[in-house]
Amino acid sequence: MFLTELFRTATFRITLMALAAMAGVMVMQFGLVYAQLEAVESRRSTELLKGEAELLAQMSPEHLEYVIRRRATDDLRLIINSAGLFDSGHALIAGDLRTWPKGLKADGKPHNVEIYPEEGDSYPLRVLAEKLPDGTILVLGRSFHLLSEQKLMLRHTMLVAAVPTFVFALFLGIVLSHRALSRVKEMHEAIDRIMAGDIHERLPAAKERDDLERLAGSVNRMLDRLERLMDDMREVGNDIAHDLRTPLSRVRARLERALSTPAGSQALEAAVGRAVDDLDQCLGIITALLRIAEIENSRRQAGFGQVLLADLVTDVFDLYEPIAEMEDKVLVAKEGEAPCFVWGDRHLLIELLANLVDNAIKFTPQGGRIILGSQRINGAASLFVMDTGVGIAPAERKAVLSRFYRSDKSRHVPGSGLGLSLVCAIAHLHEAHVTIETGPEGTGTCFRITFPSAFLQKVEDCT
Amino acid sequence: MNGTVDMLKEDADFFSPNGKTVLLVEDDGAIAEEIAAELTARGFKVQHEATGDAGLEAALRAEADVMVVDRLLPGLDGLSVIETMRQQGIRLPVLVLSALSAVDDRVTGLKAGGDDYLTKPFAIEELVARIEALLRRPDDTRSTKLHLGPIEMDLIERRVWRNGREIELLPREFRLLEYLMRRPGQVLTRSMLLEDVWQYRFIPRTNLVDVHIGKLRRKIDGPGEEPLIESIRGTGFRLRVPD
Repeated sequence: MFLTELFRTATFRITLMALAAMAGVMVMQFGLVYAQLEAVESRRSTELLKGEAELLAQMSPEHLEYVIRRRATDDLRLIINSAGLFDSGHALIAGDLRTWPKGLKADGKPHNVEIYPEEGDSYPLRVLAEKLPDGTILVLGRSFHLLSEQKLMLRHTMLVAAVPTFVFALFLGIVLSHRALSRVKEMHEAIDRIMAGDIHERLPAAKERDDLERLAGSVNRMLDRLERLMDDMREVGNDIAHDLRTPLSRVRARLERALSTPAGSQALEAAVGRAVDDLDQCLGIITALLRIAEIENSRRQAGFGQVLLADLVTDVFDLYEPIAEMEDKVLVAKEGEAPCFVWGDRHLLIELLANLVDNAIKFTPQGGRIILGSQRINGAASLFVMDTGVGIAPAERKAVLSRFYRSDKSRHVPGSGLGLSLVCAIAHLHEAHVTIETGPEGTGTCFRITFPSAFLQKVEDCT
Repeated sequence: MNGTVDMLKEDADFFSPNGKTVLLVEDDGAIAEEIAAELTARGFKVQHEATGDAGLEAALRAEADVMVVDRLLPGLDGLSVIETMRQQGIRLPVLVLSALSAVDDRVTGLKAGGDDYLTKPFAIEELVARIEALLRRPDDTRSTKLHLGPIEMDLIERRVWRNGREIELLPREFRLLEYLMRRPGQVLTRSMLLEDVWQYRFIPRTNLVDVHIGKLRRKIDGPGEEPLIESIRGTGFRLRVPD
């Protein structure tokens, strides 16, 4: 069981592949040595045969015959293994070659022929036949004995070298695989613990020295991010629960008191009416949350088209001007010099701008001013809403864009606390940035939505 | 000031739901019961079906005057019911109810052949106002002049008079008054006004409409003149039709 698991690791498979490659290289190497050996021996035997034949051919026929006869006993036989002196009719005069080798031509070049002795098996021989001036033919032969011996030695060497090499490599592979397997097993166990709910658990990544550890490091960073997101979610969940609990407890208290109110009385009617208002507030929070989720999840830009920002400014100004006037605040719409077109969803952008203006009006004291408009900055189209209100401290600016954030200053102002989250979600869908700056006169706040110039380009392509 | 009794009398003069049948296709029993009870109390007849198939069958019998259909139904869903119905040539006005509030859900609902779209949860008055609006579609839109009691409106020249006295209106105020003039005596909710006059949905506060109505009121009602735009508590507004 453990072994099959071991053999199925990536490391073991890599080891096997390396082993196969090594074997291939070894076979090739030996093959080349083999071929080279053969070539060298062939060349050497040719030279030996030719040199010896030349030497012998210069002797007088009597001397030659004597030498051939004697050859059987002298050192020469180690180099020239067989020799024979034949007459022109291929009849043996002297030497140990009993018969004329079959198919041999007397052309002074070496040939490989098969020799059939009177007794015993046939054997190959490299033979050279040289015609002598007196008509006799000198035949010299060199066996392949030496070559086969060398080859045998080479084969032995190969086996002796290969077997321990392979065994060692296999052993190494198993050890490494086992190590990899145990590391993977550790990670598996860590992942199991994480899945079982221990989200603080991390994979063993050590110092991220190799790919496996680097991978584990990446997974750990991903887990860190997820954990942070989960914390955020939990916080948002708590905020939702808290924001819903307050009006719901009010509803409960009202209805409970209404129970003891005489039926049909005005007090009962009023209590129920206020309870419905509180429930509407709860539903408003839920609707806003669902809407944000819906916009955040929508990756489609189906409703997108060309939108002139100045039109949005005019529309939202028209809608909110009477409100501002009623609350004794001044709403001003500013015309940008250059027309700013963006690629977007008109309804969503109206919603975005309306939320910003609504907020600005809420947080600006009586007599204050709210300015909204569109502007081109460095070629990028942008919408802005400035006010002369209390302003947002730089440290708080990031936080106000998160869900449910209310600075302590604004706790008394009714609202879902989700308006800016909605603004962010819509801006995000348009790949636009939301930035918060200090108002133009050093007081108040300026919200700016900057659209990507790529969207501007898209619009120009369309027109 | 007119009392409640007078308001009811006026209701009876200009809109009588008596005999009008609402076909309600809704699978949530509790909600259906609430809606049915409220509509019956206001003089409607209610025919309730709990599945899309039964709803379609009832719609094809063409006995109802208006249909209220939930978007998500067991079996045949709300949109398919409307589509099938429209293919059969039934022109019954339809109000789609939905728990979904997706941006283009409304669009798909209207594209399928619905006439209006209402997202759950809603106030019952909102539903009633919309059903009434569906039962009396606006007057002929081709006329270039509108008259209602003391008010006279020229749609081409964009001018308004009350008893011959011209009233200066901003374009947005003119649009609002025109919308009201085309629906005299009809209860119009804040969200109906936002959706139809401004084409806005999901605007942070709905009391925006009150402010606009307030400005319009101050312009059209001169000193000592009878107020023309009534507030209906908890619901919206109505343009009074003088005797």
